[in-house]
Amino acid sequence: MSADYFKFSQASRRDLLRAAMYGVSVSAGSALRMSLFGQAAAAVAAEAESNGKILVVLELSGGNDGLNTLIPYADDAYYKHRPNLGIPRKQVRAIDDHFGFSHGMAGFERLYKNGQLAIVHGCGYENPSFSHFTSMAYWQTAAPNSGEPYGWVGRLADAMAPGAPPNFLVDIDSHQSLAVRSKLHVPVVFDDPNRFTREVFAEERTVADAAVPAIKVDNPSQGYLLDIARSARSSSALVREAWAKYKSPVDYGLVSLDLPKVAALIQAGMPARLYYTSYRNNAFDTHVFQADVHQRLLTYASDAVAAFLADLERIGRADDVVVMIFSEFGRRVPENVNLGTDHGTANLMFVAGKQVKGGHYGKVPSLTDLDSGDNLIFTTDFRRVYATMISGWLGYRGTRELLHADFESFDMFRKREA
Amino acid sequence: MPDPERPVAISPAAPTAGPSAWQNDLAPIASADWNYNFAAHLLERAGFGGRPDEIHALAKLTPAQAIARMVRFEDADPTQLAPFDESGIRDPGLEPFPPSRPAVTDQAKETGHALGIDVKRAGNRRLQPIVNEFFYWLRASVLETHRVAYWWANRMLTSPRPLEEKMALFWHGHFASNEGKVRDYRKLLRQVELFQSQGTGNFRKLLLAVAQDPAMLVFLDAGVNIKGASNENFAREIMELFTMGVGHYTEKDIREAARAFTGWNCVDIKFVVNKDQHDDGEKTFLGKTGPFDGSDVINIILDQPATADFIAAKIYRFFVRQDPSPQLQATLGSKLRNANYELKPLLETIFLSRDFYSPASVGTAIKSPVELAVGTYHKLGLTAIPGVPDFNSVTGALGQQLLSPPTVAGWNAGQSWVTPGLLLERGNFARDVLFPTISFIPPDRYGSPDIRSVADRIRRGMDITEATKPDTKSGDLAESNMAADRDEEFNTRYGSYRGWQMAIERVKAIPRDTAHINLTKIITGAEIKTTSDAIDYLIGRFMRVPPGGEVRQKLIAFLDYELGTADLAAARTYMEDSLRLALHLIMSQPEYQLA
Repeated sequence: MSADYFKFSQASRRDLLRAAMYGVSVSAGSALRMSLFGQAAAAVAAEAESNGKILVVLELSGGNDGLNTLIPYADDAYYKHRPNLGIPRKQVRAIDDHFGFSHGMAGFERLYKNGQLAIVHGCGYENPSFSHFTSMAYWQTAAPNSGEPYGWVGRLADAMAPGAPPNFLVDIDSHQSLAVRSKLHVPVVFDDPNRFTREVFAEERTVADAAVPAIKVDNPSQGYLLDIARSARSSSALVREAWAKYKSPVDYGLVSLDLPKVAALIQAGMPARLYYTSYRNNAFDTHVFQADVHQRLLTYASDAVAAFLADLERIGRADDVVVMIFSEFGRRVPENVNLGTDHGTANLMFVAGKQVKGGHYGKVPSLTDLDSGDNLIFTTDFRRVYATMISGWLGYRGTRELLHADFESFDMFRKREA
Repeated sequence: MPDPERPVAISPAAPTAGPSAWQNDLAPIASADWNYNFAAHLLERAGFGGRPDEIHALAKLTPAQAIARMVRFEDADPTQLAPFDESGIRDPGLEPFPPSRPAVTDQAKETGHALGIDVKRAGNRRLQPIVNEFFYWLRASVLETHRVAYWWANRMLTSPRPLEEKMALFWHGHFASNEGKVRDYRKLLRQVELFQSQGTGNFRKLLLAVAQDPAMLVFLDAGVNIKGASNENFAREIMELFTMGVGHYTEKDIREAARAFTGWNCVDIKFVVNKDQHDDGEKTFLGKTGPFDGSDVINIILDQPATADFIAAKIYRFFVRQDPSPQLQATLGSKLRNANYELKPLLETIFLSRDFYSPASVGTAIKSPVELAVGTYHKLGLTAIPGVPDFNSVTGALGQQLLSPPTVAGWNAGQSWVTPGLLLERGNFARDVLFPTISFIPPDRYGSPDIRSVADRIRRGMDITEATKPDTKSGDLAESNMAADRDEEFNTRYGSYRGWQMAIERVKAIPRDTAHINLTKIITGAEIKTTSDAIDYLIGRFMRVPPGGEVRQKLIAFLDYELGTADLAAARTYMEDSLRLALHLIMSQPEYQLA
């Protein structure tokens, strides 16, 4: 292949990245790009950088049945809609005179009673999609019915840290989530920390450990792979060592949802402020015979989240971390004839953490005034909860630019950082 | 005759791609444009990569002949490809297989038997044999599915019709079903065979066959889509994912289509229409009204212009690149429509087009894990997929285990294939091939920690209750661990251990040969004389985009140092390990992921 195959491209995000990481000089094009982040924005960014809080987003993929997660046991309409799947009052873990958690959710019950769990009701958006993939993309981009190419967590990272320092954004999964797709950052994406290493023989090190060439290429896929290689080089040792040192007595239950890995990185002082993880593979898509399987899924999720908070307490970081939990939609209010539920609309979100002011947020949607498809009518735009995380928790005030509109935050945290 | 292993060098005189102006141009390339590198690109995309001898053979043809050889492959003899070798693990009584363990035990309590086994009349754990059988089938089907994946991967590696397998892989990602939900390797095997036999035929026929395919019927809950209580799962996905994409139908269309598909089901591995469960009332679907059934709905979907556009664009993205222009998509869609959904004319148009050989297309695809693994083995000259490393573990860890796509949407392709973690994992795969571990343990035969712990305690003579208590750590037990084993009619953990054991006994073992590699022979056969030529040869043989920066020079210096000479003749008797190290470093480059 001839040398001119590698023509110099226009300044790109890679230039910025390289500038940030390796001190390579930035071309005029990149400088222009920098002006997108004006002084004001940089100031908010610096403030957000400094508060040191960490956000962990946990996705429950497949569309969790919120009505059988937090059961409105005092509402007769619930039992009318769910003659077979309705969870009897006796089996519910009541948290007040109206609601109670599904039987296996001892962890969430405990968090709620300790005042560390916020329940946000009726979360959804206008013109809901009933497609997993579409609705999940809306939630992951925080931009329903638009073609937003970047994830909201990725955009948040860009806004909070436009210098794109390495290891700011972590996604623990087998593949990168759209939620963390970023213009400036290369998210640290790994699954098994023990495998997050280049296994080489001693004699190979001179070549294998060499810096990734700082070259400009025409081939966009090649450029992408070189970026990924740089990110891998800067993060893999950190992640591996963190995991090797991590030993926790806390029992995360049968499915830990990668939360012990997050705890390990936090304990090791990973500079990441944003973590993304998921209950994978559409697990919550319970169209048929859902009772047993759904209760099991909730038990696992509840165990893992409660254990994570206990683990954070153990390592002394409980005041610095919250977990935000969501699903791409709830399920149809009436059960289907297959002892399952079909795709629905509005749903619960949860925010858990020691600094969270526990309790109910948002208006509880009516179980009698449904839309024409027997679905809940949403009462809380889900982006209000995102805005709460962005400004209320992380201290970044530019939520309007990030979320493309104004969303009122909830007053959800005990301490407000100045 | 040239030595088939002798490469034709990638010389500067033979461009790897045409001019940029070729982008979006579907006009066929001229014979004068055709060269070794173009043929290599064709084999990379329409198959699983080519060895120099194969590339050379295609390069000698005209482009039209070369593409016809790939696409119109009926003359290529497939008889060397053995059918799947069944272990014979299916017990009578397993059909219909209940949806969950509680469903099995409920049935057993109610009727006195389940899964072809009677409840014990008296004594402890009267339902245990039934629970064992339940877990036996779950595990046996998983193990046999691993063997089906091996069988298929071997076809990808050795078939004289690589496009047949490549298209089957495409359809597997498009009409995705997985073992985790289907829980019956036989259905998945038949689905793969359907993709192999019809995947390059006619999309109309294929779509109808998929809608009646037992694996798909189970995967998308057809069994519970009945008159008066339709289930929308299949109706939604056939429009959203399989044919038109979102935006071309309404929620009402989905409900109406679901009614039309009511009664479509399978009994064991046969498609059936349960007439009494079919809703034969009027439906209004995509503007048409009638007492439609599933076939009618499929025909109406195929009449929509969006369908051909959607399918043609998805095929293009799979074979060429991720970002076809809207105009190009429309042109490809009309080609497919005008060919009445015959797929071969579309494939020929794509592979012959200037666009396919334009710089935007060449070397810009990121290999999927299956393409990476099969292609690596193919370029190494192997004739069987090695048993070590385990093919399913490797491709699973890299994000594309055959017969296990994560959801009905299949796999996210393109850049999604590679993350920082996965890029390192890909290099580690190469090392595991070139230097296989000597402490390999077959993952399919080695129980999970839970199972092993139960097995060890049982063998030490503990009773079942004691042996199946969860391992306790200090601190509170999680709710899920405390909830285990409360029912005394049976013990779930014991059942899963015993089922595992029964499955291993009956499922045939995957042969665990390591790869037989001889780089010395390959290099010597190609008459390579120096270390720099050897590095260039390995780069040329294994990569479509050479590594950037100083990597080539570093590799040459590395090989010089390892061999103690730049003269290969002097190092001939001891160069194998050093060549393998160099190849491992080459396969660890970001550019090795490009096709």
